[in-house]
This record gives sequence, structure tokens and C-alpha cells, in this order.
Amino acid sequence: MATFTGSMAPVLVLWLAMSLSGTWAVDKGNFKTCDQSAFCKRQRALKPGDSPYRALLETMELTNTRLTLQLINDNNKVRLLLELYRLQGNMTRVKINELKPLKPRFEVPDVLITEPSTEPLSLLSQDENGVVLSLGTESQRVIISARPFRLDIMEGPEVLMSLNSRGLLAFEHLRMRKDTWFSKGPPGCTSSKEEEKVDGMWEETFKSHSDSKPNGPSAISLDFSLPGVEHVYGIPEHADTLRLKTTDNGDPYRLYNLDVFQYELYNPMALYGAVPVMLAHKAQRTTGIFWLNAAETWVDISSNTAGKTVFGKMLDYVQGSSETPQTDVRWISESGIIDVFIMLGPTPKDVFSQYASLTGTQSFPPLAAVGYHQCRWNYNDQEDVASVDAGFDEHDIPYDYIWLDIEHTDGKRYFTWDSHKFASPKEMLQALEDKKRKMVAIVDPHIKVDSNYKIHNEIRNKGFYIKNKDGGDYEGWCWPGSAGYPDFTRPDMRAWWASMFAYDQYEGTAENLYTWNDMNEPSVFNGPEVTMHKDAVHGAWEHRDVHNLYGLYVQMATAEGQIQRSGGVERPFVLTRAFFAGSQRYGAVWTGDNAAEWDHLKVSIPMCLSLGLVGISFCGADVGGFFKSPSTELLVRWYQTGAYQPFFRAHAHLDTPRREPWLFGPENTALIRDVVRQRYTLLPYWYQQFYHAYRTGEPIMRPLWVEYPQDPATFVWFDVHTFQKHNGAQSLYIPVTMSSIPVFQRGGSIIPRKMRVRRSSSCMTHDPYTLYVALNLQRTAEGELYIDDGHTFNYEKKEFIHRRLSFAKNMLSSVNLATDAEFSTGSWIERIVILGASKPSKVTLKTADGQESQLEFDFDASMSVLTLRKPGVNAGLDWNVMLQ
Amino acid sequence: MHFHMIIVAVFWFGFVDSRKIRGISSSYKRFFRERKSFLCIDGSKIIPFEQVNDDYCDCEDGSDEPGTSACPQGRFYCTNLGFRPHYIPSSRVNDGICDCCDASDEYNSHAHCQNACWNLGQRERAYVEGQMRTLDEGLQLKQQLIEEGVLLWREKQAQLRELQQVAEDLQTKLEERRSRKQEADRLKEQTPRPPEAGDGRLFRGQNSTVTGTFKLLDSNKDGSITVDEVQAKVALVHDEERVLSEDEAVALLGGDHQMDLTTFQHTLWDILTNGGRVKIKDTHGAPGVGEDPPLKVADREWEATNLKKVEEAYDTVNMEISDLREKLAIDYGPDWEFLFLNSQCYKLKVYERWGMWEGPPKNQYGRMVYENGEPCWQGGSRSTTVTLTCGTETALRSVKEPSKCQYIMDFQTPVACQPVLKQRGIHSEL
Repeated sequence: MATFTGSMAPVLVLWLAMSLSGTWAVDKGNFKTCDQSAFCKRQRALKPGDSPYRALLETMELTNTRLTLQLINDNNKVRLLLELYRLQGNMTRVKINELKPLKPRFEVPDVLITEPSTEPLSLLSQDENGVVLSLGTESQRVIISARPFRLDIMEGPEVLMSLNSRGLLAFEHLRMRKDTWFSKGPPGCTSSKEEEKVDGMWEETFKSHSDSKPNGPSAISLDFSLPGVEHVYGIPEHADTLRLKTTDNGDPYRLYNLDVFQYELYNPMALYGAVPVMLAHKAQRTTGIFWLNAAETWVDISSNTAGKTVFGKMLDYVQGSSETPQTDVRWISESGIIDVFIMLGPTPKDVFSQYASLTGTQSFPPLAAVGYHQCRWNYNDQEDVASVDAGFDEHDIPYDYIWLDIEHTDGKRYFTWDSHKFASPKEMLQALEDKKRKMVAIVDPHIKVDSNYKIHNEIRNKGFYIKNKDGGDYEGWCWPGSAGYPDFTRPDMRAWWASMFAYDQYEGTAENLYTWNDMNEPSVFNGPEVTMHKDAVHGAWEHRDVHNLYGLYVQMATAEGQIQRSGGVERPFVLTRAFFAGSQRYGAVWTGDNAAEWDHLKVSIPMCLSLGLVGISFCGADVGGFFKSPSTELLVRWYQTGAYQPFFRAHAHLDTPRREPWLFGPENTALIRDVVRQRYTLLPYWYQQFYHAYRTGEPIMRPLWVEYPQDPATFVWFDVHTFQKHNGAQSLYIPVTMSSIPVFQRGGSIIPRKMRVRRSSSCMTHDPYTLYVALNLQRTAEGELYIDDGHTFNYEKKEFIHRRLSFAKNMLSSVNLATDAEFSTGSWIERIVILGASKPSKVTLKTADGQESQLEFDFDASMSVLTLRKPGVNAGLDWNVMLQ
Repeated sequence: MHFHMIIVAVFWFGFVDSRKIRGISSSYKRFFRERKSFLCIDGSKIIPFEQVNDDYCDCEDGSDEPGTSACPQGRFYCTNLGFRPHYIPSSRVNDGICDCCDASDEYNSHAHCQNACWNLGQRERAYVEGQMRTLDEGLQLKQQLIEEGVLLWREKQAQLRELQQVAEDLQTKLEERRSRKQEADRLKEQTPRPPEAGDGRLFRGQNSTVTGTFKLLDSNKDGSITVDEVQAKVALVHDEERVLSEDEAVALLGGDHQMDLTTFQHTLWDILTNGGRVKIKDTHGAPGVGEDPPLKVADREWEATNLKKVEEAYDTVNMEISDLREKLAIDYGPDWEFLFLNSQCYKLKVYERWGMWEGPPKNQYGRMVYENGEPCWQGGSRSTTVTLTCGTETALRSVKEPSKCQYIMDFQTPVACQPVLKQRGIHSEL
């Protein structure tokens, strides 16, 4: 059993007291502002102007796929090497590194799924002022200007994006400690040793923490100009609006994975995860910038229209005299190199596809993971689990996963069970399995330093712990007290970690136990900004270089462990709090420790939308709010919102009263039951959306501009509950009651549902489908139906059904979209509901074998809803239904 | 003979219908007589009879699909021969999980369900028998506790009456004392005098000299004070009413059974004059006191002290009375059967006070809730819900903390045994 040693207990208690008492708000003093982060302050001190960098055109080398060119900083004569690639799928990659760095600079591994394929570049023209390269198709060109150095990417006469147009390219070259040369930017800058200290170049302190910075200054920075762009999105994770704000009057958006206690809304502070991807959207074109750097990063955004009112913009337009709108962006990172992927769209879906070709798509989750998850810190013991499980049956509410937080372990030793509270975990898991339900148990990356703990001993003996600056195993405080942090950047460490999930290693586990990785920023209670010291050592690299990657690696290794334990057969399900570009490949993320407040419910929407835009579709927020206790109304509304977000999990803090769905009176139980059941009827649609996200990288939860980049107005929408039809291009006030959720199906779409809601998603496997066909003004509609076994990787072996459902000319038909795939299902078409229909005289079903039969139907003239009774045809076959 | 025919008819219908209609109880069979059409039980719609249990929901009330999972509001009847019949939601029909012990819900699924009704029935019967034994035993114990409770109740009532009597007496006394004190105050105002020198503060109406006091105590005037005489004239300051015991008197006499004037002067006199534990009794018409002596300062103080003592005694008794009344006002159940629990401690004594009975109307004494307990670390206060169940011993069976500082206790006691349980028993269709 867990016992704190005399020395560790007081510290932990002190930390808990500090963090759990106090008023409700983030303690901003715990986290750096740009001014308190030495490199950010240094870089931000540079103002737009002439760049000291000059392209040395005589050094240019152009092969079929690559252009290289040296840049020189005229202030300090340090040379950089520019590499430029044209990538397949309308992307341009720009890499800038020191030509001859003192030692190698970190380049982010394991994020790109493969070395991106290149396309030929060709030289269009060249003179002493610059070079023009063709980017192949679509009259796209790159203009490299020599003095000062800048890059402009053009299509026809239009500039799509300019780099270093504001002269903010900066590259702090590695140097010897005694070196007095600085690439600070302003010309002729030399400084004394004292100034070095002031600048925090070789040492930096924050609160009581000192960062030794043995490599000295190493920051990089580059600006991007986006002509014609007024809206930029992405760079999660921030608790902020979907559309990013300008940062002129405050701090830049910060990307640095941090465990922020009781985070505050609507500000650019860093949170648990970081995806350095920004999307820029205007009506005709969407582009993206992927800044592949895992160090602490800050992003400044400014706009020439930011201060203008709508009237002011109109005035500009009428007078025709104004400059075009433009957004300027500037990225600053603490170390590494400049490696940026410019995704040129032109449509939002093209950008998703381009980004997906670099970092992969959303992993295709097991169907059950798309169901409802019941979590709490903590379900106390096996009896508690059994009674909550029974509560769902008693109240006829479906769920798929029940979750165990840290208290289930033997003294916060992950991979173990508390021997009193969870004496027979296999029996518990079997009882869940008997109801076709599953469990998630938490496994955090901090490992209790305890010589009686197998996991700790193995990691220590294998030398797998991250090292401190002096070479010893790094130790920090976390839930178990003193803890070590495995070096997940090491492939051998990750392989070992994965092997720990084998059934014979992780005792008491079974096929229906899945994993949750929390605290993987990593969270270090007594570390600077509640995370790891930047001078901690991962082999050849500093933690500084890899920080934002740590969480991705933890989830990667855990997901790999789950795959391996089943011999590569079963899909994993792993939830993570920290993430980076590419994390979408390993599972789900949630928005961390939110609070039971209406504003937190509201912000869950832009937070998940932002994540979806940068590839991470499987996103959700703690339903009900983690900290504090929700009012009943807030809880019900949160369920109604969460049911329509990709990851649907209720969670609650240890200190809050119980809030299982049936604890708020029969009326509220009924409201929650109803919305969870709505989620389950829509599982076929969600699942098909996940498949689509897995195939294309398109987000599941999308802002309207993604779907309608040019805002067409000629749609109709149907209320999915009442079938009330609303025409597009108007503002509507929709009255709501506690039971109504404004959900609309667009005219022109077909949505498959399963109306027989059962105890869990697995119980519904063989159930029949109801197709909801919403007709548009042209009286057509399209949709898809995807079916597979719901849990294995066999879909990769083409074992699935993928059909296109389309309605046109009074005929609804199902045709095979994947003729090379094969799967058989017992599910059949139970009912077809056509919204916006007129009354037919006869409805004929024709099956693949040519047989025809008449279908009974029911027509509701008041709502124009036609219901076809029991077509009965197998969902995997060809068929059509003709309305006459 | 008429009777027999009805039986036969019912049997015949039952035979025909049960072959066709899955998932209904016998009481519903009348709705499913095979005809050309079926009227939804809510009367909302008529459908062809072939559409009953055809795996498509036609009736809004789900009545056309009692045997399939087609209707969202439907329910399926498990006959469960050998055990208890019951309804399950239609959504549990053919979901791959065995819900009816007779396996009738999984007639078209991959689940391999065994008929477990007989085993379950056996187990249930054994369990119920055990419960019945516990109940019998529990009820007997409960009767004893009720009797004890009644006795205890009466005892407490008697105690209350006694206390009330004492209070009445004290009140009389108090009034008397008050008037005396008022008198003293009045006299003082009329004849203000300087305080007298000497030892005169202690006694009322006495010559407070050594010899005078000795003479007062020496009732039989034999020149020595005896135990009897001390007992008659000396009292404890804080309990004037009580007669000193022989030992106490002997102690005052310096361990002897008598005392002469010389010894008195150096021992007991000192004790009496120093205002210690004992004093000369307030003697009404004692020998040597012929007429009301003039009141002095000492007398007023004497009166004040005495009044205070009586007031204190009166307050104490009244507090005891209200305490007892409060305890007696608690709801100990209709037969005072829970009275024996008063001030008992079962392992986890969280509260000193009696909680609120908050069971459901049918079993009001089945649950007790304690609120506003000790403050919880993160705000709020502790609360406990105690569930009382029938058992042969009184003991705490489990304590849980489902949410922080909110406890649930399972408390077993014979007192929670309800005779009504006996009437239920087990119903099985054997």
C-alpha cells in the first residue's frame, strides 16, 4: 500500500493545499508571459523593418526536387541554409537551418508519417535581384528576393503568402559561451557578459526555478503575410474563440503543453496541448501554415483591418482606395530549426487533405468509443462500479465505457490495482463484458520512485528515465509523490512501455480494458510552470527541444501497447490530455480540467472546432464540468451539447457530489436519457463520419465556413426532432425548452440511424437501419453508409461495407462505394423517412436480384414527411426504392 | 359444469395464442386473439394481424411488438417458469445478453442462454427462507426491544415527573428567598449602617463569637460538641439540605467524636469562619434565637448567596427537564423501538445527535439522514444517510463515501424488521 515517506508527504500536502484552496481562477503568476520568457521577449523586441538577411543567389543549387540557397545575416555574417521543396498535393516546404551549426539543431522526428513526396521545381527566371521558380501546376510561382531576403508565393497575379516580408526572420545561431556576437537583429549589436545575463541567454530564472541553458540562445522566428485574409484559425490549444484574435495589445498565443490548474477562458495562455498549425480563410481560398517545431512557441497575429468597424470596411470598399485586408502572422520558437509547410488549398478540404498527407488522419476508433463514457474521479471500488453499471440499466440509459481515475491504483502506481478496492479486476471486467460494456483505467507517465515497484525498477535499470542536467534520473512531484518520467522520445523505451500492456504484464486486465493518459504535458507539480525543467536531458537533446512532443509519444506508445496485446487485431482506444501535431493518429483528446460553468460549456465548442481544423477530430470536454458542481440545468444542457460532440464523456472532480444521470429527479433523468439515446440512434452516422475523417483528414465537427466556404444561401434545414423545415439565408430565433436541442439536418443529406437503442453500442451491432432522407430544393439528397465489425483492424483488409445512398428523380438507391471490399451484415433497412416529400401513389422496392415489391407507406401531409414501412432489404446489398 | 367449460376455453385460447404471440403475459392474451386485424392497445391504430411481432413497430405504444425489439417503448414479458416472471424493455430482446432466466428473450441471437429459472428459483427460495428466519427472529428481538423501549420510556417519564416536582419545590423556595432578599435590601436602605468589625459576617442572628457559636452548636449544653450536634447544626455550603454523614461530622470534629471549646476555637471555628465548605445551618427558631435579630450587612450577603444557590439549583433542574423532554420528543418509532439506540455508538460515531427519519412513505423508519455535520475540508459539511435493514443483531454493516464527506451506512437491526415483509413471500409459477 502507498505510504508517503516522511519527507514527501508535507510537500504534496502543501501543493494540494495551495492548489485546491484559494479562489476559483488560474494563478496567472504560475505561468510565463512573453516578457517573462527570455527568448520571446528578445524576439518580440524585433520590430518589422528591413531584414538583415540576404540571399546568396550564387550559392543556389536546384535539383529536380529541391532548391538550396544560403542566406547571410549582414550583421553577424552567420550563414543559414534555406531548403525549398515543392510537395505533392499543392504544398511548399521551407526549411531554414544554420549552414554550419556548432552542433546539430533539433529536427522534429515521428510527427510526419513519411518523408513527404516532392514534385519537380523549375527555374523560370533569375537575375541579381532574385529567382522565380515554377511550382508546377496552376501557374504557381515562388519568387525569392535576394536583398533583403523574402519569399512570395504567387498564383497568377495573386500573392498567396509572403515569408519574411516584414523582416522578422531571426535565427539565434549556436555559439560558444564566450562569444559576444549576437543575432539580435538590430544592426551592430554587441554586448557585455552582464547583458547576457539580463537577456537570459545563458541562464534564466522564473519564480524559484532556474534554467541553466547550456546551449545558450537558440530561438528562431519568421513572419508570414496573408494578403486578402481577415480570418485565421487553429493553433490549439487555447480556451478561446474559434477565430483567432490579433495579439498586438497583449501576449502572443502560446504553444507550450502545460497543466494549467483552473484555466481561464478567452486568453492566449498555453494549455495542455499544442498543434502548430494555422489555417487562413477567405472566400476564394483557404491556406495553412504548419510550423513543425516542438519547442515552446509563441504566435503573434496582426491585421490591418482588426481595428476597423464593418462600416469602415465598407467605406474602404466603396472608395476603392484602401489597402486590401491582410493578416500578418509571426512564429517564434525557442530552439530547433525553421521547418514550415505551406499548404495552399485552395479549398478547406484540400488543406485538410494536405495536412493529413503530412501527419496522418484521425485514427479510426472502435465503434464503442463513439458511444457514451461515464467517468468520475473516482469510482471507489468494484461495488461502486457494479452499482453505477446497474444504475444505467435501471434507468435504461445506454453507455459503453466506465472509467477509473488514479484512485484505482495501488498508491498511484500505474499498471496496478488497489488490492482492497479492486481485489478482483478481472471479475469486474467480466461483469462489464457480460453486458457488452468496457472500462478505461488511467495510466499516467509519472512513475512512483519506489524500489518495490516493478515498473519503476525496470525503467531505472534500463536507464529509461529522463535525466536531469547533472546526469541523474530526473525526479519531480506528481500524484504518487516523488516520480520519475520515462523518456518516451526513445523508441526502445516506447517499445518497452507498449509491452507493459500485455495481459501477462498488466495484471488484472482483459480485452475490454482501455487506457487514459493524463498529466502527460508532462505535469510536474514542483517544476517550472508545473512542468519539466527545460534543461532536463533526453539523450542528445534537451527537454526544451522536445517538450511539446512528450504527450504525443506517451499516447503513441500506449496505443501501440493496446494494439500489440491483441496481436495487432483490435483497434486501441486511448485518451490523452497533452497532444501535438500528429496526435490524431493515436486516439482521442479532451479539453482538460474545465469547470461547471456556462462559459466553459460554451467554450467547449470553439475548442473542439479548433482541434478538428488541425486534424484532431476525436475531441470532447468533460460533460458537466470537472471542477465545481453544475446546476441541474447546466448539467442537462451539457449532456445535450456533449451528445453532439465527437468524444462524449461525463467527468467530475473528487470533491464534487455525485452526478450520475439519475440523481436529479425523474424529469432530468428523462432529459439526459433522451439525449444519450439520441446519441446512440446516431451512432451509424457518427461512425461513418469517423471513417470519413480517418480517410480524408476532414474534421467531424466543422465550422460552417468549412462546409460552405462561399456561404451559399440556398439550403433548407429540417429540425431533426419535429421535421419542421426552415429555409436558409435567414436568421431564425428557435424557441427552446429544457428538452429541445436545436439540431438540424440539411436538405440534400441522408443520415442513417439505428432506432433500437440498447444497453451499449455492441448490443446494437445487428440492428436494422432507419434512413433519414432530407430533400433539398432540387429534391435530391446524398449520404453514405459505412459498416464493419466495429472493433478490429480488418477494415484495413477491406472487410467493410461502404455504400452511397442517393435520392434523385424520385428514386432512392444504395450503390456500392467500395467494390473491392467485402463484409456481411445482418443489419437491414427497417424504415425510410423522407423529409420534404410529396405523397406518392405507389412505392416500389427493387432488390439486386431484380425482384420488385410494393412498400407500405405513411404520409404526414402537415410536415411533408413520408415514411416507408419495412423495406427489409439487407443493408449491404444494392437496392432502390421508386416513388410514383 | 359451466365452471369447467370456462377453464377449457381459457386453456384453448392460451394454447393457440401462446404459440404465436411472443413476449406477453397471460393477462394480455385477450388483446392478441387471432383475427384479421390488431388494434393497438392504446386504440390508436388498426393493423393487419400479420404485423404483430413482425419486427416493425406500427403502434405508438409499442403494443404490436411485444416479442421483438422493434418498438422503443415496448416491453417483453419473461414467463420465467420456476422463478419470478417479469418485464424487460424491448431493447433487451435479442441483444446478445441473457436477461430472462428462461432464455426466452434471446430466441434469435448469438447468445447461448441456458434456462436458469429453476436454479434461480431454488436459490431465491433458500434466500427467502433465510430471510424469513431472520425476520422471525428479528421480530421476536424487536418485540423485546419494544418492551424494553416502553419500560425505558416509562422510566424516563417518571424521571421527568420527579424532576418536575423538584423544580416546583425549588420554585417555591426561590420565591421565598427572593422575598427575603428584597426584605433585606429594603431594610438596608432604611437603616444604613457601617459594617461591623469582627467575625460577624458568617452567621445570621447569632453572637458571632467563639463562645456564642460553641454554645449554639452544643445543643445539650454539656460543654462539648458531638457528632449528632454537628449533624444537626452544620451543613455543606453548596448543599444545605443534605445532612452530613457521620464520617463527615467526625472529620469536622478533628477525627474525634466530640470536641471541647478550646479545641473548637482552633479548629472548627476557623473552618466555619473562613467561609469554606461548611457553615452553620440556617436555623429557624433554633434554640438561643428568641426573636428576629436586627438585620445586618452580613445578613444581606447571606441572603444573596442563598438566593444565588437556589437559582442555580433551579436552573440545573430545569435544564435537565428540557434535556429529557427534548430526548423524549424524538421520534423513536411508533413503539419506542429505536429508543434503545439512544447514545449508542456503532463503530463510526459521526454525530452526537439524532438524525431525521427520511425513508419512503411506506417505510419511514427505513432511512435516517444526518446533515450539517462537521465541516468538510473543501467546504460544505459532512452528511450521512443510514439505511436500516432487518437483521438479528444491531450492527453497522458497511460505511461508504460515494462523494467526498457524504457517507452511506448500512445499519442492521431487528427493529427494522417489518411484519409486512412476511406477507410478500415468493411468487412462482410452478
